[in-house]
Amino acid sequence: MLLNLTDLSDESLQSQIVRQIRAHILAGDLKASDSLPSIRSLAREQKVSVITVQRAYETLIHEGIIHSRRGKGFFVSRLQESEKDRIAKDKLYTNIKRPLNTAVSEGLKAEDIHTIVDKILSNDKHD
Amino acid sequence: MTKAFEFNDVVKTYKDFKLGPLNFSLEPGIVLGYIGPNGSGKTTTMHCLTGLVRADKGEMKVFGKLNSLHHPEWKLDIGYVGDVHAFYERWTGEKNLTFLSRFYPSWSKQRALELARRFQLPLDKNVRDLSSGNRVKLSLVGALAHSPRLLILDEPTAGLDPVVRSEVLDVLFEILESGERAIFYSTHILSDISRLADELVFLHEGQVFQRTAKDDLLDQWRKISFRYSGEDMEVETAVSKIREGNDFQVISYDFSKTIEQLRKIGAENIKDTRMTIDEIAVQILKNNRE
Repeated sequence: MLLNLTDLSDESLQSQIVRQIRAHILAGDLKASDSLPSIRSLAREQKVSVITVQRAYETLIHEGIIHSRRGKGFFVSRLQESEKDRIAKDKLYTNIKRPLNTAVSEGLKAEDIHTIVDKILSNDKHD
Repeated sequence: MTKAFEFNDVVKTYKDFKLGPLNFSLEPGIVLGYIGPNGSGKTTTMHCLTGLVRADKGEMKVFGKLNSLHHPEWKLDIGYVGDVHAFYERWTGEKNLTFLSRFYPSWSKQRALELARRFQLPLDKNVRDLSSGNRVKLSLVGALAHSPRLLILDEPTAGLDPVVRSEVLDVLFEILESGERAIFYSTHILSDISRLADELVFLHEGQVFQRTAKDDLLDQWRKISFRYSGEDMEVETAVSKIREGNDFQVISYDFSKTIEQLRKIGAENIKDTRMTIDEIAVQILKNNRE
């Protein structure tokens, strides 16, 4: 499992770990009942503190994406397609809420925002 | 679980300085950063814990064993790197290490050689001919070759070049993986342990005044800017406030509370930026002083 963590981000290392593992799972790179690295080995591999990984795993457990089996470690949970959909939508909602509010406070109208979203989805460059 | 170390009411007094009473402990598997300005008592704390100086009062235990003058077994569990090292200047690094190895039943020569190679430390030179950086490396090898369960590191990366510093951090991350070892690390270069440390203890004029999980600090502290045209107001949970016309910038130690208050009073254009652990530590130390 490869993660790309950076200190040059407005996102904490902890939430980078959460987001990247979640992305691996939702994209199907990690499948149901696949095992995850132990907290300590991931901490060593990624050069982050143990508590950082521990809390990231706790978040993923709370979201129902992974589970732990006592003495055996951490595993990817079985997710229904509908659940994956819900998790992805929840995530998009939280991620997009702040920039959208900022955009509105800077005077953009709903239609401006729709246009930009459409542009992004059709992979056009922002001019 | 047995604590890696514990301080119970430890006090050390010098003519114009008093450390303690110290009351804190460290669990195995944890890295504790010990943060304070020069002269706050970091080194004295470590000297007490390693037995280099005797505390006036109180009790210290290392993995459950009392730190006692007459029964020095507790020392076997400690690896220490700091301002004091007991190497013979006229001996080579290798001869010094061989000498040191006699005191530690768990010493591994192979481990010592491997560490020397990783830190790019020449072992065939006399200690008196070693640069200050190479002396630090020799101390590190000497502290790590018996695989101690408690590492006490007093500014260990001072004077090391970036490549070696990063190798030292790699070694520390490896050491932690088993979960049985603990690291007590004093520094004022926070960026060195910004990833490694689990918790931070802040010290000022001999007194511990705060202990917090590093991730909590990173989660809760923010620089917040906003626009507000009303009367000047107190921002809750903020440690500093700058105002330019109707534009404000505050530093908050509990940003969700601050933002809640700002929304309530009708502030506009609220933006928050994360802070590095260095920036946060500076604020904590500065505000404690004031």
